[in-house]
Amino acid sequence: MAKVARQVVEQAGIDVNVLLDKLLRAAGAEFTTFYYYTILRVNSIGFDGEGLKEIIEDARIEDRNHFEALTPRIYELGGALPRDIRQFADIAGCPDAYLPADPRNMSAMLAVLVEAERCAVRTYTDICNMTFGKDHRTYDLALAILHEEIEHEAWFSEYLSEGPSGHFRRGSPGTSPYVRRFMSAEIG
Amino acid sequence: MALWKLARAAEIPPGQTRFVWAGEAAVLLVNYRGAIYALSGICPHRNNPLEGAVLWGHLVDCPYHHFQYDVRTGENHFPKNVYPEDMPQLEQQVRPLRSYRVEVREGDVWVDLG
Repeated sequence: MAKVARQVVEQAGIDVNVLLDKLLRAAGAEFTTFYYYTILRVNSIGFDGEGLKEIIEDARIEDRNHFEALTPRIYELGGALPRDIRQFADIAGCPDAYLPADPRNMSAMLAVLVEAERCAVRTYTDICNMTFGKDHRTYDLALAILHEEIEHEAWFSEYLSEGPSGHFRRGSPGTSPYVRRFMSAEIG
Repeated sequence: MALWKLARAAEIPPGQTRFVWAGEAAVLLVNYRGAIYALSGICPHRNNPLEGAVLWGHLVDCPYHHFQYDVRTGENHFPKNVYPEDMPQLEQQVRPLRSYRVEVREGDVWVDLG
Protein backbone atom coordinates (compact mmCIF):
# COMPACT_ATOMS: atom_id res chain seq x y z
CA MET A 1 0.00 0.00 0.00
CA ALA A 2 1.14 3.54 -0.73
CA LYS A 3 0.43 5.08 2.67
CA VAL A 4 0.49 8.76 1.77
CA ALA A 5 -1.21 8.09 -1.56
CA ARG A 6 -4.17 6.68 0.35
CA GLN A 7 -4.04 9.38 3.00
CA VAL A 8 -4.28 12.23 0.50
CA VAL A 9 -7.36 10.63 -1.05
CA GLU A 10 -8.98 10.19 2.35
CA GLN A 11 -8.17 13.77 3.32
CA ALA A 12 -9.75 14.99 0.10
CA GLY A 13 -13.01 13.58 1.43
CA ILE A 14 -13.28 10.28 -0.42
CA ASP A 15 -14.34 7.13 1.40
CA VAL A 16 -11.48 4.97 0.13
CA ASN A 17 -13.25 1.72 0.97
CA VAL A 18 -16.19 2.74 -1.21
CA LEU A 19 -13.80 3.74 -3.99
CA LEU A 20 -11.94 0.44 -3.68
CA ASP A 21 -15.23 -1.44 -3.96
CA LYS A 22 -15.97 0.41 -7.19
CA LEU A 23 -12.47 -0.23 -8.56
CA LEU A 24 -12.65 -3.93 -7.70
CA ARG A 25 -16.04 -4.28 -9.36
CA ALA A 26 -14.73 -2.45 -12.41
CA ALA A 27 -11.65 -4.69 -12.56
CA GLY A 28 -13.86 -7.76 -12.18
CA ALA A 29 -16.06 -6.59 -15.03
CA GLU A 30 -13.02 -6.08 -17.27
CA PHE A 31 -11.70 -9.53 -16.45
CA THR A 32 -15.00 -11.33 -17.05
CA THR A 33 -15.67 -9.30 -20.18
CA PHE A 34 -12.27 -10.30 -21.55
CA TYR A 35 -13.36 -13.92 -21.06
CA TYR A 36 -16.81 -13.49 -22.62
CA TYR A 37 -15.50 -11.40 -25.52
CA THR A 38 -13.12 -14.25 -26.30
CA ILE A 39 -16.17 -16.48 -26.84
CA LEU A 40 -17.99 -13.79 -28.82
CA ARG A 41 -14.96 -13.19 -31.01
CA VAL A 42 -14.41 -16.82 -31.94
CA ASN A 43 -18.09 -17.10 -32.86
CA SER A 44 -18.22 -13.96 -35.00
CA ILE A 45 -17.25 -15.89 -38.09
CA GLY A 46 -17.78 -14.03 -41.34
CA PHE A 47 -19.82 -11.19 -39.89
CA ASP A 48 -19.14 -8.29 -42.27
CA GLY A 49 -16.28 -10.26 -43.71
CA GLU A 50 -14.09 -10.51 -40.64
CA GLY A 51 -14.65 -6.86 -39.76
CA LEU A 52 -16.68 -7.39 -36.62
CA LYS A 53 -14.24 -9.99 -35.36
CA GLU A 54 -11.40 -7.47 -35.59
CA ILE A 55 -13.31 -4.87 -33.63
CA ILE A 56 -14.32 -7.36 -30.92
CA GLU A 57 -10.64 -8.24 -30.70
CA ASP A 58 -9.70 -4.59 -30.16
CA ALA A 59 -12.28 -4.25 -27.40
CA ARG A 60 -11.33 -7.62 -25.89
CA ILE A 61 -7.62 -6.81 -25.62
CA GLU A 62 -8.28 -3.29 -24.37
CA ASP A 63 -10.58 -4.62 -21.65
CA ARG A 64 -7.75 -6.87 -20.52
CA ASN A 65 -5.51 -3.80 -20.55
CA HIS A 66 -8.01 -1.99 -18.35
CA PHE A 67 -7.82 -4.81 -15.83
CA GLU A 68 -4.03 -4.61 -15.91
CA ALA A 69 -4.07 -0.85 -15.43
CA LEU A 70 -6.63 -0.90 -12.59
CA THR A 71 -4.89 -3.53 -10.51
CA PRO A 72 -1.87 -1.48 -9.34
CA ARG A 73 -4.17 1.36 -8.26
CA ILE A 74 -6.24 -1.05 -6.16
CA TYR A 75 -3.13 -2.18 -4.29
CA GLU A 76 -1.75 1.36 -3.93
CA LEU A 77 -4.92 2.34 -2.12
CA GLY A 78 -4.67 -0.62 0.24
CA GLY A 79 -7.06 -2.96 -1.56
CA ALA A 80 -6.48 -6.41 -2.98
CA LEU A 81 -7.93 -8.72 -5.58
CA PRO A 82 -10.01 -11.52 -4.03
CA ARG A 83 -8.02 -14.70 -3.44
CA ASP A 84 -10.78 -16.72 -5.07
CA ILE A 85 -11.44 -15.94 -8.73
CA ARG A 86 -15.06 -17.10 -8.31
CA GLN A 87 -15.60 -14.32 -5.80
CA PHE A 88 -13.98 -11.90 -8.23
CA ALA A 89 -16.41 -12.92 -10.96
CA ASP A 90 -19.34 -12.59 -8.56
CA ILE A 91 -18.53 -8.98 -7.68
CA ALA A 92 -17.94 -7.94 -11.30
CA GLY A 93 -19.71 -4.64 -11.80
CA CYS A 94 -21.42 -5.53 -15.07
CA PRO A 95 -23.55 -8.52 -16.11
CA ASP A 96 -21.95 -11.38 -17.98
CA ALA A 97 -21.83 -10.89 -21.76
CA TYR A 98 -23.18 -14.28 -22.78
CA LEU A 99 -23.03 -15.66 -26.28
CA PRO A 100 -26.54 -15.35 -27.78
CA ALA A 101 -28.67 -18.47 -28.15
CA ASP A 102 -28.19 -18.19 -31.90
CA PRO A 103 -24.52 -17.35 -32.42
CA ARG A 104 -25.19 -16.71 -36.11
CA ASN A 105 -27.46 -13.78 -35.27
CA MET A 106 -25.19 -10.77 -35.74
CA SER A 107 -27.73 -8.29 -34.35
CA ALA A 108 -28.09 -10.30 -31.16
CA MET A 109 -24.33 -10.47 -30.79
CA LEU A 110 -23.99 -6.73 -31.36
CA ALA A 111 -26.70 -6.06 -28.76
CA VAL A 112 -24.65 -7.99 -26.17
CA LEU A 113 -21.52 -6.07 -27.12
CA VAL A 114 -23.02 -2.60 -27.12
CA GLU A 115 -24.84 -3.15 -23.82
CA ALA A 116 -21.62 -4.38 -22.21
CA GLU A 117 -19.83 -1.25 -23.35
CA ARG A 118 -22.65 0.98 -22.12
CA CYS A 119 -22.38 -0.63 -18.72
CA ALA A 120 -18.65 0.12 -18.75
CA VAL A 121 -19.28 3.75 -19.73
CA ARG A 122 -21.65 4.15 -16.77
CA THR A 123 -19.11 2.45 -14.47
CA TYR A 124 -16.23 4.80 -15.30
CA THR A 125 -18.41 7.87 -15.41
CA ASP A 126 -19.38 7.05 -11.82
CA ILE A 127 -15.73 6.65 -10.78
CA CYS A 128 -14.74 9.88 -12.55
CA ASN A 129 -17.58 11.74 -10.83
CA MET A 130 -16.47 10.40 -7.46
CA THR A 131 -12.77 11.22 -7.88
CA PHE A 132 -12.82 14.44 -9.91
CA GLY A 133 -10.77 17.14 -8.18
CA LYS A 134 -10.01 14.82 -5.25
CA ASP A 135 -8.11 11.71 -6.31
CA HIS A 136 -6.11 12.86 -9.31
CA ARG A 137 -4.43 9.55 -10.08
CA THR A 138 -7.58 7.41 -10.01
CA TYR A 139 -9.46 10.08 -11.96
CA ASP A 140 -6.77 10.19 -14.63
CA LEU A 141 -6.85 6.39 -14.99
CA ALA A 142 -10.65 6.14 -14.97
CA LEU A 143 -10.90 8.90 -17.55
CA ALA A 144 -8.41 7.13 -19.83
CA ILE A 145 -10.44 3.93 -19.59
CA LEU A 146 -13.66 5.87 -20.15
CA HIS A 147 -12.25 7.27 -23.41
CA GLU A 148 -11.68 3.75 -24.70
CA GLU A 149 -15.02 2.36 -23.50
CA ILE A 150 -16.84 5.19 -25.26
CA GLU A 151 -15.01 4.37 -28.46
CA HIS A 152 -15.94 0.70 -28.10
CA GLU A 153 -19.58 1.63 -27.61
CA ALA A 154 -19.46 3.87 -30.67
CA TRP A 155 -17.96 1.11 -32.83
CA PHE A 156 -20.64 -1.43 -31.94
CA SER A 157 -23.37 1.19 -32.10
CA GLU A 158 -22.23 2.02 -35.63
CA TYR A 159 -22.54 -1.65 -36.59
CA LEU A 160 -26.12 -1.56 -35.29
CA SER A 161 -26.78 1.30 -37.74
CA GLU A 162 -27.33 3.76 -34.90
CA GLY A 163 -25.06 6.30 -36.62
CA PRO A 164 -21.37 6.82 -37.41
CA SER A 165 -18.84 6.29 -34.66
CA GLY A 166 -16.67 9.17 -35.82
CA HIS A 167 -13.51 7.06 -35.71
CA PHE A 168 -11.94 3.91 -37.04
CA ARG A 169 -10.64 0.74 -35.44
CA ARG A 170 -7.12 0.54 -34.05
CA GLY A 171 -4.10 0.23 -36.32
CA SER A 172 -3.18 -3.02 -34.60
CA PRO A 173 -5.28 -5.03 -32.13
CA GLY A 174 -5.98 -3.46 -28.75
CA THR A 175 -3.37 -0.71 -28.70
CA SER A 176 -5.17 1.23 -25.95
CA PRO A 177 -4.25 4.75 -27.08
CA TYR A 178 -5.43 6.28 -23.80
CA VAL A 179 -4.60 3.58 -21.24
CA ARG A 180 -1.22 2.41 -22.54
CA ARG A 181 0.68 4.98 -20.48
CA PHE A 182 -0.62 3.24 -17.35
CA MET A 183 0.59 -0.17 -18.51
CA SER A 184 3.82 -1.72 -17.31
CA ALA A 185 3.85 -4.38 -20.04
CA GLU A 186 4.59 -3.63 -23.69
CA ILE A 187 1.39 -3.61 -25.76
CA GLY A 188 0.32 -3.06 -29.32
CA MET B 1 -53.60 -1.08 2.33
CA ALA B 2 -50.73 0.33 4.37
CA LEU B 3 -49.86 3.89 3.51
CA TRP B 4 -46.49 5.15 4.68
CA LYS B 5 -45.33 8.75 4.54
CA LEU B 6 -41.77 8.29 3.32
CA ALA B 7 -40.49 11.69 2.22
CA ARG B 8 -41.29 15.21 1.19
CA ALA B 9 -41.64 15.43 -2.58
CA ALA B 10 -39.25 18.40 -2.59
CA GLU B 11 -36.53 16.12 -1.22
CA ILE B 12 -36.49 14.16 -4.49
CA PRO B 13 -35.74 16.52 -7.40
CA PRO B 14 -36.41 15.34 -10.98
CA GLY B 15 -33.86 12.74 -12.09
CA GLN B 16 -32.95 11.79 -8.52
CA THR B 17 -33.56 8.74 -6.33
CA ARG B 18 -33.93 8.41 -2.58
CA PHE B 19 -33.49 5.19 -0.63
CA VAL B 20 -35.64 4.87 2.51
CA TRP B 21 -36.75 2.27 5.00
CA ALA B 22 -40.41 1.75 5.88
CA GLY B 23 -40.19 -0.56 8.86
CA GLU B 24 -38.37 -3.56 7.46
CA ALA B 25 -39.15 -2.73 3.83
CA ALA B 26 -36.51 -0.99 1.74
CA VAL B 27 -38.07 1.42 -0.75
CA LEU B 28 -36.54 3.38 -3.60
CA LEU B 29 -38.31 6.63 -4.40
CA VAL B 30 -37.64 8.04 -7.86
CA ASN B 31 -38.57 11.31 -9.50
CA TYR B 32 -38.89 10.68 -13.21
CA ARG B 33 -39.99 13.73 -15.17
CA GLY B 34 -41.70 15.23 -12.15
CA ALA B 35 -43.65 12.12 -11.16
CA ILE B 36 -42.70 10.17 -8.04
CA TYR B 37 -42.43 6.39 -8.34
CA ALA B 38 -41.82 3.85 -5.56
CA LEU B 39 -40.06 0.54 -6.10
CA SER B 40 -38.67 -2.18 -3.89
CA GLY B 41 -35.29 -0.97 -2.65
CA ILE B 42 -33.55 -4.34 -2.94
CA CYS B 43 -32.12 -5.46 -6.28
CA PRO B 44 -33.38 -9.04 -6.85
CA HIS B 45 -30.18 -9.98 -8.64
CA ARG B 46 -28.04 -10.35 -5.50
CA ASN B 47 -30.28 -8.70 -2.87
CA ASN B 48 -28.14 -5.58 -2.67
CA PRO B 49 -29.76 -2.33 -1.51
CA LEU B 50 -30.46 0.21 -4.22
CA GLU B 51 -29.07 3.05 -2.11
CA GLY B 52 -27.27 5.43 -4.44
CA ALA B 53 -29.03 4.07 -7.53
CA VAL B 54 -28.72 6.42 -10.50
CA LEU B 55 -31.52 7.25 -12.92
CA TRP B 56 -30.61 7.10 -16.63
CA GLY B 57 -33.65 8.23 -18.57
CA HIS B 58 -36.47 5.97 -17.36
CA LEU B 59 -34.07 3.30 -16.07
CA VAL B 60 -32.88 2.89 -12.50
CA ASP B 61 -29.31 1.58 -12.38
CA CYS B 62 -28.24 -0.67 -9.49
CA PRO B 63 -24.90 0.63 -8.14
CA TYR B 64 -23.52 -2.88 -7.56
CA HIS B 65 -23.81 -4.69 -10.91
CA HIS B 66 -25.55 -2.08 -13.06
CA PHE B 67 -28.73 -4.07 -13.52
CA GLN B 68 -31.34 -1.65 -14.87
CA TYR B 69 -35.06 -1.43 -14.15
CA ASP B 70 -37.87 0.52 -15.78
CA VAL B 71 -38.94 3.01 -13.15
CA ARG B 72 -42.54 2.95 -14.42
CA THR B 73 -43.06 -0.81 -14.13
CA GLY B 74 -40.17 -2.26 -12.15
CA GLU B 75 -39.36 -4.60 -15.04
CA ASN B 76 -35.71 -5.47 -15.63
CA HIS B 77 -34.40 -3.89 -18.81
CA PHE B 78 -30.71 -4.82 -18.72
CA PRO B 79 -29.40 -7.50 -18.84
CA LYS B 80 -32.77 -9.15 -19.56
CA ASN B 81 -32.64 -7.63 -23.05
CA VAL B 82 -29.45 -9.54 -23.88
CA TYR B 83 -29.59 -12.65 -21.71
CA PRO B 84 -29.86 -15.70 -23.99
CA GLU B 85 -33.20 -17.51 -23.99
CA ASP B 86 -31.48 -20.90 -23.93
CA MET B 87 -30.14 -20.20 -20.40
CA PRO B 88 -33.37 -20.22 -18.35
CA GLN B 89 -31.43 -20.39 -15.10
CA LEU B 90 -30.65 -16.68 -15.61
CA GLU B 91 -34.32 -15.71 -15.34
CA GLN B 92 -33.96 -15.75 -11.56
CA GLN B 93 -31.49 -12.85 -11.84
CA VAL B 94 -33.78 -10.58 -13.84
CA ARG B 95 -36.95 -10.65 -11.78
CA PRO B 96 -38.76 -7.29 -11.62
CA LEU B 97 -38.62 -4.85 -8.76
CA ARG B 98 -41.92 -4.65 -6.93
CA SER B 99 -43.72 -1.42 -7.79
CA TYR B 100 -45.82 0.45 -5.21
CA ARG B 101 -48.67 2.93 -5.61
CA VAL B 102 -47.71 6.51 -4.71
CA GLU B 103 -49.82 9.46 -3.60
CA VAL B 104 -48.42 12.95 -3.14
CA ARG B 105 -50.54 14.91 -0.67
CA GLU B 106 -49.66 18.46 0.32
CA GLY B 107 -46.06 17.83 -0.61
CA ASP B 108 -45.74 14.54 1.28
CA VAL B 109 -44.97 11.28 -0.52
CA TRP B 110 -47.26 8.45 0.63
CA VAL B 111 -46.53 4.92 -0.52
CA ASP B 112 -48.95 2.00 -0.36
CA LEU B 113 -46.85 -0.95 0.75
CA GLY B 114 -49.83 -3.30 0.70
